[in-house]
Formats: sequence, C-alpha cells, structure tokens
Amino acid sequence: MTTQYDATAAMEIVNASAPGAACVEDGVLYLEPALVAEAIESLRDSEESDLIFLCSLTAVDQERHFEVVYHLQSLDLNHILAIKARLTDREDPTLPSLTGVFHGAHLQEREVYDLFGITFEGHPDLRRMFLWEGFPGYPLRKDFLQMPGQIRAGLPGFPHESTENAWPVPGSVPQRPQHPNDPQPPSVLAVAEDGEESS
Amino acid sequence: MTTADDTRSMMDDSRLAMQGTIEALDSGDGSEPVVVNLGPQHPSTHGVFRLKVTLDGEIVRDAEMRIGYLHRSMEKLAEERTYTQNIPFTDRIDYLAAMSNNLAYCLAAEELLGVEVPPRANAIRVMFAELQRVASHAMANGTFINDCGAWHTPLFHMFRDRERVLDMFEMTCGARLTTNYMRIGGVAFDLPDELLPTLEQFLADMPENIANYEALLMENEILHARARGVGVISPEMAINSSLSGPVLRATGVPWDLRKANPYSGYEDYEFDVPVGEQGDCFDRFLVRMAEVKQSLRILRQVIDNLPDGPWLADVPLHARPEPGESYARVESPRGELGFYLVSDGGPAPYRFHCRPPSLINLSALKEMSIGGTLADAIVTLGSIDIVVGEIDR
Repeated sequence: MTTQYDATAAMEIVNASAPGAACVEDGVLYLEPALVAEAIESLRDSEESDLIFLCSLTAVDQERHFEVVYHLQSLDLNHILAIKARLTDREDPTLPSLTGVFHGAHLQEREVYDLFGITFEGHPDLRRMFLWEGFPGYPLRKDFLQMPGQIRAGLPGFPHESTENAWPVPGSVPQRPQHPNDPQPPSVLAVAEDGEESS
Repeated sequence: MTTADDTRSMMDDSRLAMQGTIEALDSGDGSEPVVVNLGPQHPSTHGVFRLKVTLDGEIVRDAEMRIGYLHRSMEKLAEERTYTQNIPFTDRIDYLAAMSNNLAYCLAAEELLGVEVPPRANAIRVMFAELQRVASHAMANGTFINDCGAWHTPLFHMFRDRERVLDMFEMTCGARLTTNYMRIGGVAFDLPDELLPTLEQFLADMPENIANYEALLMENEILHARARGVGVISPEMAINSSLSGPVLRATGVPWDLRKANPYSGYEDYEFDVPVGEQGDCFDRFLVRMAEVKQSLRILRQVIDNLPDGPWLADVPLHARPEPGESYARVESPRGELGFYLVSDGGPAPYRFHCRPPSLINLSALKEMSIGGTLADAIVTLGSIDIVVGEIDR
C-alpha cells in the first residue's frame, strides 16, 4: 500500500540543500516558488525520500493566489508526497520549470501554461498546447468567462472584448458565437492562427 | 530453420547498416530536411492527432506533436456540475476504457466524501475494470499490429473478443462504450442474471483465442522485424519521463498500481505483473498480451468469490464534501490514471484534474522516434496506445 511521505521529513531534506525553501502548513509541504526546481531535485536525489517519479503536475486557482501542485512518488519505497507552491502574483505568475529535473514535466507544464497562464522559466518549448496562440485568456482561471448556467460568477466576456459581444447573463437564452442571429461573431473563434500551419 | 532471435539480429544489423549509410550521405550532399505532417486526419494516428516530423531521407530528425483538436474543456465544465453529474464526463475522457475512468473518478470522490464501498460493489468494479482491460488491450494490440503492416486481419480477430466484452457491458448497464456505470459508493446496477454465464463462456473461450494470436504473431518474422529494437527507451528515462502502464513495464520496471497501491480489493486477487526486457515496441506488445492473461486470471477469482449484498452505498445524490482534496489513481489499461479533486464545500468540485496516461506517455515520443525511420515512428506511436480523447480532454 502506498503511504504518504512525511512532509516534515521532506522539509528537512529540502532545507538542508536549499535553506528556507520549504515549510509545512497543516501537514502539507509548501515550497518557495523561486526554489521549486532545486528543492524537488533534492527530494529526487535523496535516498531517504527517493521521489523519482513525477505522478502529476497541475495547478489550482485559489482566487487570491495560484497553487501549483506536484505529486511525487517513490517506486522502491512506495510512498507519495503532494507538494505545493503558492504564486501570489496574478498578473504574471512565474515559476522555475521542472523540465531539468523531470523530463515528464514537459507536457504537463505546457498544459498548465495553456490553461492557467503560469509561466515556467527555463521550459524549452513553452507554447499553447490545446488552444491556439493568441487565444484570449486562460480558461481554467476562475475569472475567465461567465458561461451560461454557471454556478459561480466570472467575467461577463472574454478579457479583450467589449461587453457588447459578451456571453449573456445566466437566465437569458444563450446566444452562441455561431448563432445565425449573431451579426458579428466574436473574433476569437474566427481564425485559428496556427491551425494548419498556413502562415 | 531461422529462429526469431536470428531474424532479430539480422534486422538489427541491417538497420544499423542502413542508418550508417544515410548518415554518411548526410554529411556532404547538401540535401534539405523535409517536414511531413502526419495527421490530423491520418490512419496511423488513431484519432485527431498531428505529428510533425522532420525527415532526412527516411530518417526522423525531429518529431513534434500538435494536439488539441479534441479539446472539450472537460476540466472547466466539471467545475460547474455536481460530483455525480461528472461521472459521464469521465467516460468520454478515455472512451476505450470508460470503466477504468469511472472507477478512478469515483475513488477520488469517495476519498473526499469518506464513503465506504460495499464488498459486492468492489468485486463488480474489479470485474468490469479487468474486462475493460481485456477489451482495451485487444484494441491496442490490434491497431498496433495494423500499424506494423498486418492489414486488419489480427485487428478483426481481436475485435471479436472486444465485441463480446462490450456485449457484457451492454447487458449490464445498457451502454457499450460510454458506460457511466460506476457511482460514488458503488455501481449503478447489480449484475443481470445472464451476465455470469456469458462471462463463464468468455473465460472458457479466451485461452484458445490467445493461443491462436500467439501462434500467429509471436514468432512472426515481419512483426519482429518491424517492432524489435524500435522505439527503445531505457528504464531510467522511462521513469524520468513519467511513463506508466505497459510502456513503463516493457522497460522492466514492475510498477503496477494494482500491486503497489491496491484499490477496490485488488489485494485479494492473485496475479503477476508481466514486464519486458528491452523497452521496445515488441515488448510493449508482449506485456499487453501477458496482461490479458492475468486479467482473465483475476476475472476467474472474482467470479468464484463474488460476495452477496448491496452494490451501492447510501450516498446522497448531491453530496457536498468537506473542503479538502484527494488524488486517487488506478492502473488503467494505458497507465496511471489519476483524478485530483479539490472541494470547497460546494456541490461541484472546485478543481477537477485528470492525470492522463495517454498524454504523459507521449513525453518521450520524440526521444523514441529520433534516429529511426518514419515507418518506425508510426509503429512507436501505435505501441504507446494513445487515446486522443484522453490526451486533449
């Protein structure tokens, strides 16, 4: 059975190589964003933690800050550790890339960049992955867009758009971008810049 | 008589000789690389997936994947629906292993809600997860051999087995592909009366079918020539690239979440974890073939020890878990399938993240393809067994 690795033990390993990089809050290991790559490398290389497998890398928009969540696994010792890093700058969230430590971080960091707009410094190929270059906004942010029938409030339109082209408020009849009644569909869906490499 | 090993070494020699020749030509003739787009509508890509390869003659110098054609924004949509309403989404993430996806999501939601699953539900879950593995590996191996050049004959033989599994899904939950069968706290329906006899018949017939496939394929020179030594990856690189499932086990790493972190009562069943030796395309094929046999072994034990009792725990339909998070994973046919759920106490998940094995197993596609021929790159892609719905979500 996979056990949870003790966050305090992990904090000691991290702080031995990068002092002040880690702290434990409510049993969860939080890393200083600027030192994420060194800290995780020390956890990977330490024989006690042996966290050599990056299970998952994702982010959560906690509204006041972004939280990047790493799940690391040891295959021999069979324990798992969840590690988090808080990014308080919503305008330009930046974090060192983990690609130098784990090759498997390449695609997952690109996905987080695509959907959250978090920049990973040092990533060799940081581009949009699912959406096209130039897509306005980052969909998994909580303030991205107010969709019809949404439980939580979001922005009334795409960030670059005037409110005239905005999606309707919940309760009214949703008018889709390609609706025949719509005289001018939102420009966002008109052209996929890199769709078939025509440029 | 030539054995498979002789063939293999002959093919390795000729491949090395060929690469040497092309590299020698490469040095002085001033030829330019050619960029070829495989896809998005290409028979080798098994879906809407584009691989952009840079070719020097026939040798791949660079491979870059372009994805997103099937992006349906499921993680965003799931934030607006209740925990139960999200179960049908998980079917559509990996439509060739809907049961495994249902299971992984339900485990994550159960961890958040603290639900105890009844023993019969666990046994049924294991039964359908393993049936799904048989069906998914039939598809994976069939299309892989298709990519190797055996045009559709083995595929259709394997589809025959998959068809019988889908029939069993249909008689249990009414759907064949997008099953929506598991629920938070168990499964939606009990087993119908006709299922167990059908499954018994299936288990009785499968060993002969597998023996036929092995007789047809294991010593097949063409398959060896196409798949041996192609798309090789070392165990260290595989672990560093977060590969999982048969792709990781083919390199010799015996990492299977059913053993390492047993869920739904897998600790009660006896089975082995087949591993490969060389980490090439042929080993991935062998691992999948061997896993099908182990799945049949598990199914036999599930039928023999099927407990009675309720199949669904008493869970409110619109459950509101306490604020917190959970990361639950299962060994899906493609690898480690995880769901990371964050709850803020509301009726819908605050964050719904799927750790997609199909996407992450592609992390090393470039490294596996470079230096081989274009035809080898297609075999490599086929051996990774991607499902584009899961890559793009």
